[in-house]
Parts: sequence; C-alpha cells; structure tokens
Amino acid sequence: MTVATKSDASEGVSAVLEARKAYNIKLAASADKARSIWFPLVLMAVLLALPALQFVGNYNYVLHLVLFTACYAAMASGWNILGGFTGYISLGHNVFFAIGGYFAGMIFARYGVSTILMAPMAGILCAAVGYLIGSITLKTRGPSFIISSLALVMIARILFDHWTFVGGANGVALKANDLPVLWSKLPYYYAFVILAAFSVWASYRIKHSKFGLGLRAISKDEIKAESAGIDTRTYKVLAFAISAAFVGMAGAVWGEYLTYIRPNIFLVILVSVNLVLMCILGGKGTIAGPVIGAILITAFNEVFVATLGASELNILATGVLMVVVLLFFPLGIVGTLARNHRLPRILNWD
Amino acid sequence: MEQIIQTLILGIALGGVFALMGSGLSLVFGVMRIVNLAHPSLIIAGAYVTYWGFRLWGIDPLVMLPVAAVVLAGIGVLLYKLVFEREARSAKYSEMTVLLTFATAMIVEGALGFMFTNTQRVTSPGYATDAIFIGNVFIPMGQLYAGIVSLVIIGALAAFLKYSRFGNAIRATTQNRDAAELLGVNVNLVGIMSFAIGIGLAGAAGALVSFVFSFFPAKHWEWVAVLMSLVVLGGMGSILGTVLASFLLSIIAAFVGVWFGSTWSTMTFFLALFLILLVRPQGLFGEKPELA
Repeated sequence: MTVATKSDASEGVSAVLEARKAYNIKLAASADKARSIWFPLVLMAVLLALPALQFVGNYNYVLHLVLFTACYAAMASGWNILGGFTGYISLGHNVFFAIGGYFAGMIFARYGVSTILMAPMAGILCAAVGYLIGSITLKTRGPSFIISSLALVMIARILFDHWTFVGGANGVALKANDLPVLWSKLPYYYAFVILAAFSVWASYRIKHSKFGLGLRAISKDEIKAESAGIDTRTYKVLAFAISAAFVGMAGAVWGEYLTYIRPNIFLVILVSVNLVLMCILGGKGTIAGPVIGAILITAFNEVFVATLGASELNILATGVLMVVVLLFFPLGIVGTLARNHRLPRILNWD
Repeated sequence: MEQIIQTLILGIALGGVFALMGSGLSLVFGVMRIVNLAHPSLIIAGAYVTYWGFRLWGIDPLVMLPVAAVVLAGIGVLLYKLVFEREARSAKYSEMTVLLTFATAMIVEGALGFMFTNTQRVTSPGYATDAIFIGNVFIPMGQLYAGIVSLVIIGALAAFLKYSRFGNAIRATTQNRDAAELLGVNVNLVGIMSFAIGIGLAGAAGALVSFVFSFFPAKHWEWVAVLMSLVVLGGMGSILGTVLASFLLSIIAAFVGVWFGSTWSTMTFFLALFLILLVRPQGLFGEKPELA
C-alpha cells in the first residue's frame, strides 16, 4: 500500500519535473527568438545613433575605428562564405578589394558619381570577375588553391602597378567631400555600417539555405558531397563570386574614404592576412566569428601601433597571434566556446 | 645572335641561384608535406647573417655560406619543435601547415624589419660587380660563382640522398611515410633532419642571394610565388625537377625580359605557376597529383 503511493508520488514528481523542463525549453526558445529580433535592432540603433557624439565634441577617431571595423567585418564575413563555409582558404581576396576600389574610384574621379552609389555595381563586377577567376583556380584544392591565390595577388599587383590609365604605382587622388570636418566621415560611416549589417545578414541567410548546406558539405568532404548529388563545382564558384562581391563593395567605398586609390593600399598582403586572421580568430564558418575577429584585430592593431609605433612590430605580433590561434584555438573564439557549451547566448548568431 | 647567347647566359646564371632557393622548399615538401611559405623569408634571414659577417668582419659571403646554413638549420629545428611538431596528427594537416608557415613568414619579416630596418642591403665582394667578356658576351662573375656554388651544393645534396643511409631513409619517407615507418625508419627524426636541411639550404641560398640581389625584409613576398612556381613545375618534392624547372623558367623569363620588358619577366613565373596548377598539378616529375 505504502509502496504504491510512493511510486505514485514519484511518478507525479517526475511528471511535474518533465513539464517544467519542457516549459523551460519553450521559454528559452521564445527568448532566443525574441533576442534574434531585438539584439540586431538595438545594435544597429546604437551604431546608427553613434555619430550623434559629434554634437558633444570631436569624436572622429571613434567614428573612424567603428567604420574601419565595420569595413573589415563586412569583408571578413564575405571571406567567411568561401573560407569558412566552403573550406577554401584564399589569401588573394584583396584582389577584389582593389578591383572594387579602382572601379568605383575611377568612376568617381571621371564622372563624380559617389562611390557609395556605385558600391553595388562594384559588387556585381567583382562577383563576375570572381566567377571567372574562381572557375579557373577552384580546379585546385587545399595548398594548391592557397598558392594560386597568392599568385593572383602578385599578378594583380604587377598589373595595377603598370596600368597607366589608373595612375600606375602612384594611383589616383580622389576629391574629398566638402562637408565640415566634424561630419565628413558620416556618409562613409553609414555606408560601412550598413554594408557590414547586410553582409552579416546575407551570410546568415546563406548558411541556413540549401546552398549553404551544400557548401558546408563540401568543406567536410568534397568527394562525399559530390556523390551525394551536390554540384560541387558550381557551388564552389558561386561561393567564390559571392565572397568576392562583399570584399569588392567594401573596397569601393574605402577608396573614396581615403581620398586616393593606389595599389599599395589595396594589394598589400596585410589586408588578406587580416581577413584570414579575423575569421580564424573569431571562428571560421560561424556568423558572429568574423565580426568578433574584426573587432579584436582592429583593437589589437590599434593598441600595437599606438603603443609601439613600429609597423614591423605589428607584423611580428600579428604573425605570433596567428600562430598561437592556429595552434591552440583552431576553432576560433566562437567555435571553441560553442564546443565547450560556454558560448554566451548573445554571441550565438547561427 | 649575340644577344640571344647573352640572354641565355644571364638566364642560366639566375637559374642556378633559383635552383638552390627552390630545392630546400622541395625537400621539405617531399618529406613533410609542408608547403613552406616561410622559406623565402628564411632565405632573407640567411642573407642577413651573411651581410653582417661581411659588414662587421669583412668575411667573404661564400665563406659565410656554411655559417648561414648552420644558423638557419638551427632555426629550422627550433621552428619544427615549436610549431610544426604539434600539427603532425592534425586532420587538416596540409591547410594548417600552410597557414602556420604563412604566419611564420610574417614573424620572420617583422623580426628582421625590427632589428635591421627596411633599408635595401647588398653585400659587395669584389667579384659581385666583376664580369668576364668572351667576345661581346659578358658573364657576370657574381652570378657565375653563385650558380656554380649552388650546383655544387645541390650535387652534394643529391649524392647524400642517393648514397648515404640517412639519405635513403629520407627518400623512403618521401615516397611512402607509413611504409618507411613500418620498415624501421625513424620517421620523426627524418622529419626534423630534413626540415633542418631544407631550412639550412635556405640559409645557404641566402648567402648567395646577398650578393646577387639586393634584399630587405619584405622582399620575400616577391619570391614566394616565384619559388612556388619552380617547385610546382618541377613536381613538389622532386629536387631534380626543381633544378630543371628553375633553369627552364629563368631562361624563359630572361627572354621575356629582353623582348617585353623586365616587368613581364617576373610575370612569367606567376603565370607559369597558374598554368601548371591548372594543366598539370603534379608538375614535370611529380608522381601523382598530391596537391590537387
């Protein structure tokens, strides 16, 4: 008799516990859903309202840092589509940075059309060029692909250095806008912030589409993906084109922001190193990774240049950082945290 | 006709130097399957060792060559122990090691730039600017010496690989790592030693480079793709292939330089690299498309 009541009671308890657990999961899911709406909105609102600081004093430096980070976040998110989702590491994406920059910059210099308006066109151009280049270089795989991407930068550097129409190695000076000093960064600031938001959103949509699933299958095992019926060649080349487009759009605006276009701002190895390093540090193949990487690497560079001044030390430190991350955190910050189930929910953008 | 012979000679002389620069890269890839993007930066490190020996004590670069080789071999062992040994069992070994060597290249560049600034340097022993004339054709002595020394070193390396016991172990590991291990080859030791020899060759090449080219820490980016084209054309891992490829490409580049201008002569290497990767990724003497 007593035994029966006991088991009844324990059944009742376990039922209650289960119901509570299910309820908690439902709560967490709806919290996740709510967070996925309010978090991006709040973040965007803060970023868009940030220039209001200029009413208080001169915060051009802060704006520059945010703008710079947004530029790299956009490019790194773009790189991530090829390097993170698909697993093809390219050290040559600054070629598209240059193509975008030169295309929009030359149109701005000749016809005065703002690069911000031309940025989508630059993106389309880079996608087309990326499609062509990708359909050649993506025949190789692994280390060969990395080597071919390096060769691509070298070829582009020689071509741009000797192309007299775009000013050769001296480049072309672009007209600065005539806004007052306090507000002159504003158009570029908004352009980069919106571009970064767009590329993060786009890479989220790509990751969760059938296309993205195919890309991730390719990065796991290309032969199995092929035999599962994925058209790996088309998928890879499209991923290359899309990632080139984001880098190209960032390049377009970057030229006008700096007020000149020159091979040695676009086609230096440090730009592509930064892209790779941001993605690896933040977490390759995650949505939040490239953004976190961009923030950290920008801060890191800034601290190094500010405290030590020498660019050689910056190169040295970047190399050391890269080795440490590769050896000890190959999954990056987001990847490592997620594996240990310690990823703060606020950073789980996947 | 004279111009053609002249161009041919300059191409061959340059090819000799490139052959030594590429052979260390090829050896490391053959044994370790590491595409060592840091190789050119280590060549420049070797050039700096030679430079300071020449500058401070007036030691001839060719005498400094063994010193540079030993110093760099030491650095190679250190690098292997610190960085690459951990990755031996990594699932994405080839990609990880490429990225690691890339980072290493940046470290070497940054360290050299910090210590010695970015000034262009060159050692200037008497023969560096000398030349012999045969009729109207001149042979630059510096490049001639460099080419001869490099061929001697490569010959010694080839003999070592062919006739010594340890050389056989290295070749066995190149052909099939697992089988070599089964037959009692200490694969790990072979790995370290061949890494050390490969980087040591970079040091030796650096000694030659120091009087053939002018150099500065960031120069290695120009060489990465050049050396890669030699090694890929020759077939990754084949030293004979690398030597032949470097003569072939340097001669072509010399002619391109004469006919189209010197800008395009560097372009030869990059375009060649592209074409080879696409058409025949295993190169001239590679056995199977390891890389593709």
